[in-house]
Amino acid sequence: MLETDQRQVPRSHAEKYELKTIWYWYPLYCLGGISFVAFIVLTITGILLGFFYVPDGRLEIDATSGNLTNPAWRSMLTIMNVIPFGFIIRGMHHWAAHIMIAAVFLHMCRVYFTGAYKKPRELNWLLGVVLMLITVLFGYSGYLLPANALSEGAANIGINMTRASPAIGDQLAILLFGDTNTLSGVYILRWYWVHVFILPLVGTGLMVLHMGLVWLQGVAEPH
Amino acid sequence: MQIEYVKGKIMEGRQSGFPRQYGPERSDHQPGIPLFPQEATRDLVVTFILVAMMFFLSAFVTPFLGPARGPQLSELIVPDWYLLFSWGLLKVADIFPQFTIGQGTPLKTEFSAAFWGDLLSGIPVIFLLILPFIDRGREARPAKAPVRSAFGLAFLIAWIFTSSLYSIREVVAQRWVSPNGAALIPDFTMKWFFIIPPVLVGLTSYIALRRLGYQPMRRWLVPYVAGLAAIVVAQSAWILFDPAGLGVEARPFTVEIAIALGIIAVPTVAVAAAVLLAPESTARKVSTWAGALGLIGFLAFYGGVAYLDQPRALGWVLSVLWPNMNTLVLIPMFAVLTAWLGTRRPYSTYEYLLNECYQCGKCHTVCPVTKVEDDALGGLNLVYNTFKKQHDGVPLWTCLACDACSAVCPLDIQYSDYILEERAKVHARMAADGGQRE
Repeated sequence: MLETDQRQVPRSHAEKYELKTIWYWYPLYCLGGISFVAFIVLTITGILLGFFYVPDGRLEIDATSGNLTNPAWRSMLTIMNVIPFGFIIRGMHHWAAHIMIAAVFLHMCRVYFTGAYKKPRELNWLLGVVLMLITVLFGYSGYLLPANALSEGAANIGINMTRASPAIGDQLAILLFGDTNTLSGVYILRWYWVHVFILPLVGTGLMVLHMGLVWLQGVAEPH
Repeated sequence: MQIEYVKGKIMEGRQSGFPRQYGPERSDHQPGIPLFPQEATRDLVVTFILVAMMFFLSAFVTPFLGPARGPQLSELIVPDWYLLFSWGLLKVADIFPQFTIGQGTPLKTEFSAAFWGDLLSGIPVIFLLILPFIDRGREARPAKAPVRSAFGLAFLIAWIFTSSLYSIREVVAQRWVSPNGAALIPDFTMKWFFIIPPVLVGLTSYIALRRLGYQPMRRWLVPYVAGLAAIVVAQSAWILFDPAGLGVEARPFTVEIAIALGIIAVPTVAVAAAVLLAPESTARKVSTWAGALGLIGFLAFYGGVAYLDQPRALGWVLSVLWPNMNTLVLIPMFAVLTAWLGTRRPYSTYEYLLNECYQCGKCHTVCPVTKVEDDALGGLNLVYNTFKKQHDGVPLWTCLACDACSAVCPLDIQYSDYILEERAKVHARMAADGGQRE
């Protein structure tokens, strides 16, 4: 067992070799951590939202107003208007998602411009690229879920882009969105499961690997 | 006798071979920052600030829910900002030829606008996946890897910035219109945004970063800046003198338009002439002044015309400038900026280069001065400590500038250049003080 004063995070290159710090790079080294903090906030608020959200996008006609509605959108109304602090929880989930995506993108820019993807960190860079795609998919699936006009537009773009792939386009669209158009609203359930199970499972695993490799290989600084 | 003295000094208190210790037995171990409480406190502060920001945003900028989904799509679909780039690439994809290959086979591929959009969105992913395997060099810093840095910036401009902008082309077309109702930033101008700004950003960054590493960049600057100036002059002349250049409705405002084009073209031409003919220091001053005066002149002109604008001249001036934004607005700005960046004196480059040192100690091992200087025997690394200002001023003057240290340096740091420059600085300060020692 290590003594308390020997337990420490891995030293950075600059600390190890007592270099004068290249100070203007340093604020950019917190971006990976910021995306991780945002991910934790997303997990907590996501668990809370999961108690009240109904992943059912099938169209219904509202009995009183005669407007089109659906259970998913109505559960969003409940979260925003009825559940105590529901709008704050949803707001946190929304803004943490934006912060996470921005931080991941800027983190990747930092890694690119400081050449931190180079040997021996190729594997971690590839993990990072996959994690960025997962983050974007998190964002995309997340804004499909409220089943509002924005979701409908985004789902249409997604379905059309998927259907444009050669040979297996339609089959792929049916696999990912449940249909080749948005009418049935099945895409809400599909992407709900992707958003709350598949992506968190794969994403968390890869994040642990990503950070473990940083721990083992050390922080790559421009030197 | 002297040789024996030197030999004795070399071996005194030293083991043969490499002098530094490595591994767990290292006695000069420098601990890092402890996880608790130092690192933990710092991380908690950052976490709290971040969470506070999220609370603030969610309380005051509540996310919009909007109407429930229905089969009726709104006219303008705008996805979240981080997918705008893909949406923009999808919209610009209709410039590509559309055809079908493999008709009648299971692998039938339809090159529709949507498929081209898919391919364009996939390019960055493929590029990112193969990046570590195509860029195998060891240089990490942006200034040491100017091609990678310039390419990265150009790529960001084209694939992220311009394509995101292009995804809201309908908004841009409606938002800014000329006095005759045409779009001020028409579709073809926005399509050229995919080519011209990235090329300008890439070349300018390349020139500026190479200059940061003390490279003489005139061979790049002359064709680049002169070429840009020629484009601006040719375009301005065409607008003013060709019958098809100005529309019939804009012709009554030829004088105002000519003044605006002059304010844009004159500094560009002046900078190009300075880069071509004058010494570098003069070219730098000319580019500073041309940039400042050009900007002030344009703002003064804009304000003046807006103030005196009886018959709506300003709208017509802008209706000439904005559709030609790539050539008449961006190119002059980049010409002046590149000339300035490409001729400026890089700041403290030696400090920048010496930062690469990771204290392997090879320079110390070969240094002939540390072997005979009594002061230097306590493990003093002459060059590195001079750089770190951990000396009393003596090592700076005892260095022979023999360059043995640079010869063995694994990072190829030119130490003696640094020593000579530091000495020159001291002399310059002495000269400035009337020959008095500090």
